Amino acid sequence: MKGINLEKLHDEGVENLLSKERRQFLQFGLSISGVFLGGSILSVTSAKQAQGALSRGKVPVAEFPYSPHYTMVIRQNHCIDCERCLEACRKTNKVPAHGYRTSILERSIPIAQGQRERAFMPILCNHCNNPPCVRVCPTQATYKDKTNGIVLMNPEKCIGCKTCMAACPYNARYFNEEERAIDKCNFCYDTKLKESGGKITACAAACPANVRIFGDLTDPESDAYKLIHAPGKVLWVLRPEAGTLPNVFYLDA
Amino acid sequence: MNFCHKANALPSTSINRVLFFVALALVSGLGLSFGLHSMLVGHDSTFGTSREVPWGLLVSPYVFFACLSTGLCIVSSLAQVFGISTFQAIVPRTVFLAIITMATGLMCITLELENPWRVGFYALSSPHQSSNIWWKTTIYSLYLIFMVCNFLLLTLKKEKRAKVFAIIAFVAVTLGNLNMNSDMGLLSARGFWSENYMPLYFLSLSTLTGCAAILLFNWIGKSFSGQIAETKDDAALKATGKLFMVLLLGIFYFTGVKIMGGFYPQFTKNPEAMSLLVQGNFAPNFWIGEVGLAVLLPLALIFITRGEKTNILALAGISCLTGVFVLFYDLVIVGQLIPHYSQYNVVDLPKYYSYSPSLHEIMITTGALFFFLAAFILGEMLFKKIYNS
Repeated sequence: MKGINLEKLHDEGVENLLSKERRQFLQFGLSISGVFLGGSILSVTSAKQAQGALSRGKVPVAEFPYSPHYTMVIRQNHCIDCERCLEACRKTNKVPAHGYRTSILERSIPIAQGQRERAFMPILCNHCNNPPCVRVCPTQATYKDKTNGIVLMNPEKCIGCKTCMAACPYNARYFNEEERAIDKCNFCYDTKLKESGGKITACAAACPANVRIFGDLTDPESDAYKLIHAPGKVLWVLRPEAGTLPNVFYLDA
Repeated sequence: MNFCHKANALPSTSINRVLFFVALALVSGLGLSFGLHSMLVGHDSTFGTSREVPWGLLVSPYVFFACLSTGLCIVSSLAQVFGISTFQAIVPRTVFLAIITMATGLMCITLELENPWRVGFYALSSPHQSSNIWWKTTIYSLYLIFMVCNFLLLTLKKEKRAKVFAIIAFVAVTLGNLNMNSDMGLLSARGFWSENYMPLYFLSLSTLTGCAAILLFNWIGKSFSGQIAETKDDAALKATGKLFMVLLLGIFYFTGVKIMGGFYPQFTKNPEAMSLLVQGNFAPNFWIGEVGLAVLLPLALIFITRGEKTNILALAGISCLTGVFVLFYDLVIVGQLIPHYSQYNVVDLPKYYSYSPSLHEIMITTGALFFFLAAFILGEMLFKKIYNS
């Protein structure tokens, strides 16, 4: 067998490979739930099996389930914790003082022995493709918009059982005492997003460091699409073990 | 066996008993008035719950009473559905207890909701079939109707028709119980629940509490009616005592698994929560309530007396019921105390969230408990002939 002279081979780089890998990752991440073992008249599934089904029982799909399929990419290492996004969210969506739709967590990440790196991690509703909050709601007060995939609230129907709050792995929901209903981020669906013709949210518009990139996963011209599909970048989602398939992605730009 | 029927010699309902019932009802009314106040002003200022810990104390009595009703229905079904005649003597009181426990449980969860007045309309006009809460609330409500029909037919001595409703109620409550555990067990956000809300464990616990309640409330009922001598109920109670002991041993096994998870992280997927329960702030609850009162003390009492003395069985029953209530409280609360972002090295994130029940929550729970006791005493006054027939 003739040996390969590695030194004479052209270096193709890792970008192409990574791009393919990334597409596969996204395809997996955006797959929709298949066999669902949630509520039923005969809910005999043991919790352990059901948890497995929540994270693994999915049918990969070749297309994005929504159009536009809204997403947000958070460029974590650009965040300076100025909190303008929080202020914009409060003003735009009339969020009461006792609650919040989005927040910023300060992280102290170990990078080497005795060394830590500070980072600010904005959090908000992940508008999951497999949202546990939607599954548990007994009156469909919270639901996933069939067109764009945003997880929305109909406050009129909310009975205040707070099961969605217990079910959310991201602590993205609170009870709005003024509306007597659960409130949460809706990507400014009825405010800024509507005003901007579906282009941007209040938090993304207010960010001076361009941390929050809002966009459409089905639009190749969208900044979010470009960031997600850019070669050589590592993307992650929060709490992947919960099997929620989030639509908010994080990266260090 | 010398059965001594004293039904004819039962003292008539005296004014003292009525006063006792009124006193219980007043305490219940006082407690439940706190619930009405919470409903008016909102839970934000009256409950100890928070964004991070949205479910508080009131979920525990709901789970407790609903499971208790399940257990009572299962034991009554041993005679009504499966034809085990030994248990026949205690069926009417057990069915009545199952009705009032479920009513108490549903009342607790109603007062735990921020907007209970929306339930009736939207549960019917906008049902969600993949929601365990929708299923269990619907099933439990139907179950309550079936059990009331069952009891009414029993009072009319129409056993065959009563049996039909008993079968339907038995199927319904089993399905409701499975949805009860799935409601929490399927929430992947709270791993502690997924690990502990196993259907078999939940059904065993329910049946255990049913047995404990039968032992306790039959003894109280007899004492209340002034029956001292042995009656035919005693054979049923001793049989219930044996079932109770077997279930205690089963729950003892599950408790042992919890202890292992609390001390050895390799035995659990949620070492932080299990450690909090077994070694942390919840350790007194766990060791005194879940281990001592729920399992060990009842087992010891039964072994010492060989399960022959109904008053000791009643003592074992109240000990077990108290312990299981603590168990449900721990299960609901500990499951929520692990911070959502604990794996992300977040600055100033506490190791555990905190929760303490508020005065309102405690008073509503007390009100619900006294509602149940008042209903039980009312039952003893109204249906004593049926119980002793």
